[in-house]
Amino acid sequence: MEGTAVAVCEILKYLIIHWKCETGVSNGALLEGQLVISMEALNSNHQENTLHCVTTIASAGSTYGGLVLKKFIKEIQSILPGFSAKLNWTSEEASSSQDISGVTPFQMIFEVDEKPRTLMTDSLVIKNFLRRIIMVHPKIRFNFSVKVNGILSLEIFGTKNEPTLNLSNGIALVINYQHYVSRPKFGAAQLLCSRIHPVLGHPVMLFIPDDVAGMGSLGELILTPAAALCPCPKVFSNQLNRVSSVSIFLYGPSGLPLILPSQKQPTTTVFEDTSFFIDWKKYHLCLVPNMDLSLDRDLVLPDVSYQVESSEGDQSQNMDSQGQTLLLFLFVDFHSGFPVQRTELWRAHTLLTVHLSAILTESHSVVQDSIQVTVDQALEQYHQDAKDHQKLQASLSVAVNSIMSIVTGSTSSSFRKICFQALQAADTQEFGTKLHKSFYEITQHRFLPHCSCEVNQQLLPEKNAEQSTEDAHENSSPELLTGPGLPSFDPDRLDERNLRWEG
Amino acid sequence: MAFAPVGPEASFFEVLDQHRASLLAALRRGGGEPADGGTRLASSSEVLASIESVIQDVLTSLARNKAPVFTIDNRSSWENIKFEDSVGLQMVPHCTRRKIKSDSPKSVKNFALILKILSIIYKLVQSNTHATKRDIYYTDSQLFGNQTVVDNIINDISCMLKVPRMSLHISSTSKGLIAGNLRYIEEDGTKVHCTCGTTAVAVPSNIQGIRNIITDAKFLLIVEKDATFQRLLDDNFCNRMSPCIMVTGKGVPDLNTRLLVKKLWDTFHIPVFTLVDADPHGIEIMCIYKYGSMAMSFEAHNLTVPAIRWLGLLPSDIKRLNIPRDTLIPLTKRDQMKLDSVLKRPYVTCQPFWRKEMEIMADSKMKAEIQALTFLSSDYLSRVYLPNKLKFGGWI
Repeated sequence: MEGTAVAVCEILKYLIIHWKCETGVSNGALLEGQLVISMEALNSNHQENTLHCVTTIASAGSTYGGLVLKKFIKEIQSILPGFSAKLNWTSEEASSSQDISGVTPFQMIFEVDEKPRTLMTDSLVIKNFLRRIIMVHPKIRFNFSVKVNGILSLEIFGTKNEPTLNLSNGIALVINYQHYVSRPKFGAAQLLCSRIHPVLGHPVMLFIPDDVAGMGSLGELILTPAAALCPCPKVFSNQLNRVSSVSIFLYGPSGLPLILPSQKQPTTTVFEDTSFFIDWKKYHLCLVPNMDLSLDRDLVLPDVSYQVESSEGDQSQNMDSQGQTLLLFLFVDFHSGFPVQRTELWRAHTLLTVHLSAILTESHSVVQDSIQVTVDQALEQYHQDAKDHQKLQASLSVAVNSIMSIVTGSTSSSFRKICFQALQAADTQEFGTKLHKSFYEITQHRFLPHCSCEVNQQLLPEKNAEQSTEDAHENSSPELLTGPGLPSFDPDRLDERNLRWEG
Repeated sequence: MAFAPVGPEASFFEVLDQHRASLLAALRRGGGEPADGGTRLASSSEVLASIESVIQDVLTSLARNKAPVFTIDNRSSWENIKFEDSVGLQMVPHCTRRKIKSDSPKSVKNFALILKILSIIYKLVQSNTHATKRDIYYTDSQLFGNQTVVDNIINDISCMLKVPRMSLHISSTSKGLIAGNLRYIEEDGTKVHCTCGTTAVAVPSNIQGIRNIITDAKFLLIVEKDATFQRLLDDNFCNRMSPCIMVTGKGVPDLNTRLLVKKLWDTFHIPVFTLVDADPHGIEIMCIYKYGSMAMSFEAHNLTVPAIRWLGLLPSDIKRLNIPRDTLIPLTKRDQMKLDSVLKRPYVTCQPFWRKEMEIMADSKMKAEIQALTFLSSDYLSRVYLPNKLKFGGWI
């Protein structure tokens, strides 16, 4: 895929790698900074139904310096050989005497002509990419704006102050569940834990196939899996005690997504076999690949998605209820005996992007063992909760049936009347339904095992909406672009989108 | 007289008759007992109303959005048991209780099973039918898991509703046997005539329902073991000691055997004696008949016969009769622990002679079965030991 999206993503990757190498990958510190990406499109004067799009990537605030601009441009051009747009660098070079805290802001601009639909897709791809980055770089913030014929849409991507789980090598996984699944369809009263609880697996070294050239001299690729059920299974409603889908996220060195949504083939062919790495039968799960991954949603898009097929055994369950998603993160990192160079990281990234399937296949045994153990641990509590839930359901059923037996079998009309009145039931059937419901509602909160998670009742603090509104650049024009709908500036939607900015 | 006199002459029973007279006098001093023996059985409508009240409480809790809870006395705690000489072990008025919650993972199943068994009892009482605990277990063995669960819940329900188990229409399977001078009619009209021959009659499963009980027995002998009971039958003991009644619970007695002994005492006030092995287990069994058990202390009034006397085998008899030492058995560690436990029980303090016998056993560290008497002669037990004990008042 050629186009703005790939260019932006590759540039950002290169920037982050450069950033990381400048800070020193060994110190494990999280990258911190802010980047602004803007796309401004106007109807082309030369082509019909075409937009002339100017994309700007700029730093804002502090960022680590040391960026040799002309060299950077050259390198970027070399990694985007098919990119026909002209890259311009319009900022001053960093001076050699500048200390690390003093920064030279930079700005990079390129221009392309695109169809409106392509621009829209590019916008969604970039947004997904940014979401993926901030999931492991919680201190990086992106301001992303798209202005089409004067109509502006602005989003701020950041996860600062959200709970995270520190991983090795300078990345930390954001563990706020809302980024991964949409909020369950239940009342707020039932929401008691907003975190996921990843289980980290044992790191394993990946083997490089002989026909994949040039890698052996660089160092080692280490894969570390992490798995978590989402939402937190410990304190959510009993209706969520089944796994309904699996999402796999692939991250390369420096915590960068390995692939873009459009680049999945053939990188993820190894995942087409749902059981290649994980034995799902032991959990009585039957999975099929899920191809329906819409770009247009405010969640972090996985690289691979599986859907659980419902079996005969599930028909007794409430299939309308939302199940849980098993999140599986595969972090591949690069290690060598020396401080890692930027070029090495980039090469490792490129290798993985192109040959991931081959590498994972070559390392099948060790990868499978590591991932299986990780998933086993993540689902252990799920199994226990499922057992406890079954026990509860069975007991409640016995209790309800026993009470029904006594009430319906009683010859005392006054007793029956009192019973019906207690639950405000008009007849036996309604009494039974209300009895079951009452028992269920009474027990579901108290029954679930205590969760040591920090209880977070207020998931979406309203104060941040106001703060984000101030940052929004407006210029709402009533004009609408002809053609397919594009993101347009809407102050109400702006609040909603920006609510994930600060936790 | 109801039965032809085939036993010893009347003078044989002089001491027994005196003993009975003293027992009756003691009863009169203690205010006597009502005709039904001081127990009050709940009527069917009362039981149904109790169960309906429990259900109403559950529904009221649910209507208030609160998890229903059953509160049950702690039957298995000694701190909830007191001893009264006239009754035996019974629960204290304000005992500690435990809660069985419907919203706790540990107790939700128990909560549900209580309701399940309540519904079964409700049906039994409504239809005026009976079932044994085993029958109830088999209504859903997978649900209950094991018989002990059912037994405990039934006892908990009896305690919770303050209703004796017989009123719940749940009968225990009888394993006891009766022989001797006794006739009665069972609830279904069956006429039972216990004989003095070599065969015994099974203790009926519905003691509450038996009527027209007729006996002129001079004493009731409770025999610990079935082997000893059979031996006495074979030796024609009932005829030679007629009129008398013999009962065995074949070890730890079931509820019906205890109820029968209680009923015979309450109805006829005939002296009751126990014949148990001279070992801690036998003494404990004797205490169950006399004072009751901790588990059933909530129903003590229906089950205990504090007037029971220990006839034999006494530890002091071993030395007195020169029973060969090689017929004795050393006390095991478990025996020692049981003996220590019995010695600490509250009722032993008002039985100095029993305490003394137990101390003899503890000092000798030996125990003896009744069968040890066969080393003196094969029929020593039925021809010499028991007749002498009964004639000359050799009980404590």
